[in-house]
Amino acid sequence: MKPAKFEYLRAESIDQVVQALDQGDGETIVLAGGQTLMPMLAMRLARPAMVVDINHVAELSGVEILNEVEGDGELVIMACTRQAEALASPLIQEHAPLLSKAIAFVGHRQTRNRGTVGGSLAHADPASEIPLAALALDAWVSLRSVAGTRRLPLADYFHGPMMTARAENEILLSLHIPRAPGTRGAGFHEVSERRGDFAVVAAAAVIGVDERGVCDHAALAIGGADGRPRRIGAVEDKLRGQRLDSVAIAGQLSEIGAALAPGADQHAGAAYRLRVARVLAERALLEALAEAGP
Amino acid sequence: MKFEPARNLHYVAQKRRVREDLRFVTGGAKFVQDIALPGTQHAAVLPSPYPRARILSIDAAAAEALDGVQLVLTGAQLATDCNPIRLGLKLPEIRWYPLAVDMTRYVGEWVAIVVADDAYIAEDALDLIEVDYEPLEAVVDPEEAFAETERFVHPDHGSNVLYHGNFLWGPVEDDFAAADGSLGLRTRWGRSATVPIETFGVLASWNRGTEILDVWASIQMPNFVELLAATLGYPLNSIRLHQDVDVGGSYGVKRGIKQSVLAGYLSRRLGNPVRLIEDRLWNMAGGDAHGPDRIFDTEVAFNNDGVIRSIKIRALDDAGAYPGRAPFQLAKPISALVGPYRINSVKYEAISVCTNKTGQVPVRGFGQAPTNYMIEMAVDAVARHLGLDRLEVRRRNLIQSHEFPYQIPPGSEYDSGDYQTVLQKGLDLAGYDQLLARRDKARAAGRLAGIGIATNLEPGGGNNIFEYLMDPGAEITTFMEGCEVRVDPQGNITGIMGTTTSGQGHETMFATILGEELGVDPDDIRIVHGDSLSALPTRSPIASRMAIMLGSAAAGAAGKIKDRALAIAAHNLDREVEDLEYSSGTISDRNDPSRKMTWEEICFIAYRAYHKLPDGMEPGFQAQFIYQVPGGGKLPDDDGRVGIYPCFSFQAHIPYVEIDPGTGRVSVLDYAIAHDCGTVINPDIVRGMVIGGLAHGIGAALYEKFCYDDEGQFLSATFADYLMPSVHEIPDVRDVEHCTPSPLTSHGQKGSGEGGYLGAPAAIASAVNDALAPLGVTIHELPMRMHDLEALINEANSK
Repeated sequence: MKPAKFEYLRAESIDQVVQALDQGDGETIVLAGGQTLMPMLAMRLARPAMVVDINHVAELSGVEILNEVEGDGELVIMACTRQAEALASPLIQEHAPLLSKAIAFVGHRQTRNRGTVGGSLAHADPASEIPLAALALDAWVSLRSVAGTRRLPLADYFHGPMMTARAENEILLSLHIPRAPGTRGAGFHEVSERRGDFAVVAAAAVIGVDERGVCDHAALAIGGADGRPRRIGAVEDKLRGQRLDSVAIAGQLSEIGAALAPGADQHAGAAYRLRVARVLAERALLEALAEAGP
Repeated sequence: MKFEPARNLHYVAQKRRVREDLRFVTGGAKFVQDIALPGTQHAAVLPSPYPRARILSIDAAAAEALDGVQLVLTGAQLATDCNPIRLGLKLPEIRWYPLAVDMTRYVGEWVAIVVADDAYIAEDALDLIEVDYEPLEAVVDPEEAFAETERFVHPDHGSNVLYHGNFLWGPVEDDFAAADGSLGLRTRWGRSATVPIETFGVLASWNRGTEILDVWASIQMPNFVELLAATLGYPLNSIRLHQDVDVGGSYGVKRGIKQSVLAGYLSRRLGNPVRLIEDRLWNMAGGDAHGPDRIFDTEVAFNNDGVIRSIKIRALDDAGAYPGRAPFQLAKPISALVGPYRINSVKYEAISVCTNKTGQVPVRGFGQAPTNYMIEMAVDAVARHLGLDRLEVRRRNLIQSHEFPYQIPPGSEYDSGDYQTVLQKGLDLAGYDQLLARRDKARAAGRLAGIGIATNLEPGGGNNIFEYLMDPGAEITTFMEGCEVRVDPQGNITGIMGTTTSGQGHETMFATILGEELGVDPDDIRIVHGDSLSALPTRSPIASRMAIMLGSAAAGAAGKIKDRALAIAAHNLDREVEDLEYSSGTISDRNDPSRKMTWEEICFIAYRAYHKLPDGMEPGFQAQFIYQVPGGGKLPDDDGRVGIYPCFSFQAHIPYVEIDPGTGRVSVLDYAIAHDCGTVINPDIVRGMVIGGLAHGIGAALYEKFCYDDEGQFLSATFADYLMPSVHEIPDVRDVEHCTPSPLTSHGQKGSGEGGYLGAPAAIASAVNDALAPLGVTIHELPMRMHDLEALINEANSK
């Protein structure tokens, strides 16, 4: 439990971080809250040549609304924003309540004080909550390298377990969530053996209902039942345009399994994950529906 | 020794502060890691990645060449310099060395050890050791291990069976024939343990000048120094174990013998202090600290009214690769093999097998928790079979309060108890009728809700005689605890205990009893831990025994102190001892209270005024007392019956759970427990033991398991995979005491360190099965993980 030798750089600016990453030949790793990286270093599962500590880069932290982008604007969460800060953020509660609900399931108060929003997204554990909620919210990430900044929808960002589209010389800069009409409801359900554990399976849902009571927006995402968080487009398509109630929702879930390819480990088998994905999807959708104002 | 019944108590049983708390909450505790010796070097171990493999070669040249590395040691080298570690049973062809020799026998087994100037360099060196392994097919399943005829964990032993014995106490076949019915049940206890915050750690320092090996270790083990000396080949008095080290949790698992052999050997060889502190990975996989892993096949014979007449038990236990004392965890439960029930006869088949898994150590109750779980599941099965209420079946079978002392078929004599009353207190505390209403309301709303009922015994006091049941060569009948009490020339009192302590509050307990007996505020009494060369004999804090054994020894030593004071006073007051009265250190004439001697005067005479001492009395003021376990000292009778532990505490557990039918997740929503450990010496300590034990038991019931895959790969090396309950999983526990004093101990006290753990797994399993009852399914395997429960529920619902 003693890390192998590495160089340590305490970065003061984003430019300094991307410079270091660019010169690192893929052997440089970014340290944010350290909730995953520190144990990996201690167990020597990660053996970077250099660790770039971004905890003191003030411009990497914070939550704000940007109105000047097209549409209704967007909610921007900088990568090094602590999960605890995000959980308490009135802006996130107002504009992305699904994310607030999801973060409440992330670890424990003590780990949320350290863990960051960007750290969860960069690590991309297939069962983790923040990537799942962000995916259901049609969010984007910004990635920066010395060459500049690019934006990527999350649907293109997650590649597999702990694998993303982020290049080795890029830092995950921020999460961007499009502002949505205030009438949408959010639902988040997960199951883990103990409270605060990684979810075994999790479901995130957003439902919008128009003035006639017809569903005009449906997002459903499942975590822990595939190598990455998955949107369940087939179900979303069936829900949209319908008048929803518990019977209607229950009737549209049969295709969840087709969108998922769960693995098995000592915490649960594949069959469990498939069955429970459906159970949690139903609960998340019902919760979202109950919140969605007509 | 015969004790007077408890009198007016001033300190015992009073709510008083626990003296250890101050140092633990203010950072003043001293753990092994806190001991700093100049020149200390640091050890790191290389674990085997294979469950079973031949070691073809080990090349450590690059590691040894690394700057700062002092030594790389392999098993082959070590085995030429030390003896195999002595096993509990005589199994001469099983040679257990601290490092693997020629063959690795489980994932995580230590293959080599590095000593370096710091822990980082030591781990760097591990990376440079090249081991050439020839992987072999592992022995994983215990039943296959039992039947195996060719593939052996220890080829020289020629079998995977460590122990196979049959016991018969009473007319089992007659009782089965006469009973109205019988049923069979398979129950399985999963591989879990106590997993303390502090892993095992040891610091050893060989002194060339004194030829003494000083050892600081987070140890909780009888015979530790004897085993260490025998393995190293040193005389026993060349090892000094410092017992004033705080042990950061144990409940049986802090055995650390191989770790300490390594540290001791390396320190002498290198001429420097050597520290080996396990990290979590080494500890979980290679610390040899797993607990019982047991399959029970039980047959119960009963009458239609629910009265149980006889029981047949077959227990198959998976001891892992190196047995240590593991097989004895099948023997100790014989002390309460029929639980708190009047069962006329018992057949017991005990089998211990080795497999390619981490070795087993004693865990809280030494095998009693799995046995209690099996018994309670069998009682519930009888109730289910007969369509009777579980509570009523228990009431019909519990030993009645007027039947004590009660001898069970295997020979133990239950000292005292009032099981019906304690059970009723538990039910009252739980609000049983309201709880039933709550359950039924939840069920009506479509939820799976259940109430658990479990009663259990906690044998306390210890005794080695169960070893004799497995090995008639082991005529060990002594089971003792010693203490010394010193009064200094100022009159201050110091109690010296002979063992480490791992959070049980022994110092508070010891001081409380000394204070009670000597009429002195316990807060004014100092308690210290003698080292192994200076302290009196001890058997360490195992077997729920310290209140019973150290407590009674303290009372005995205090009695000797009083006797000495009385003799000095009688001599100087010119009175007979019988005329005098001791009260809080002052001795006065019963008939003329003005004629008296103060404590200061007595102490002065003891140390300074030889001319005033009674003829023949040695100067100084101290007393030693070595207490032998009550009822011990006997070999089994011709029918194989023997009293094992002396004192029997009792608990009744009433939890309430709900299961999420969609996910299988269990929530423990309420928990009431009634406990009777005789006289409570410190209420807060007992309550802490009860609740902590109960949390430990909830872990064993629902979460904790050292998992292996079919090939023997270890899957639970971190706390992400070995799941211990956190504060979120443990409900607010409500508890109520009852006191049936033991007639055998100084103040009527019994053991209390294990009871919560011994009953909680059975209680939670009972509640889960009650919740599943409407679906017509049961589960008899621990831990009851949510994916297993969901599969059961899903299957039942699909029918």
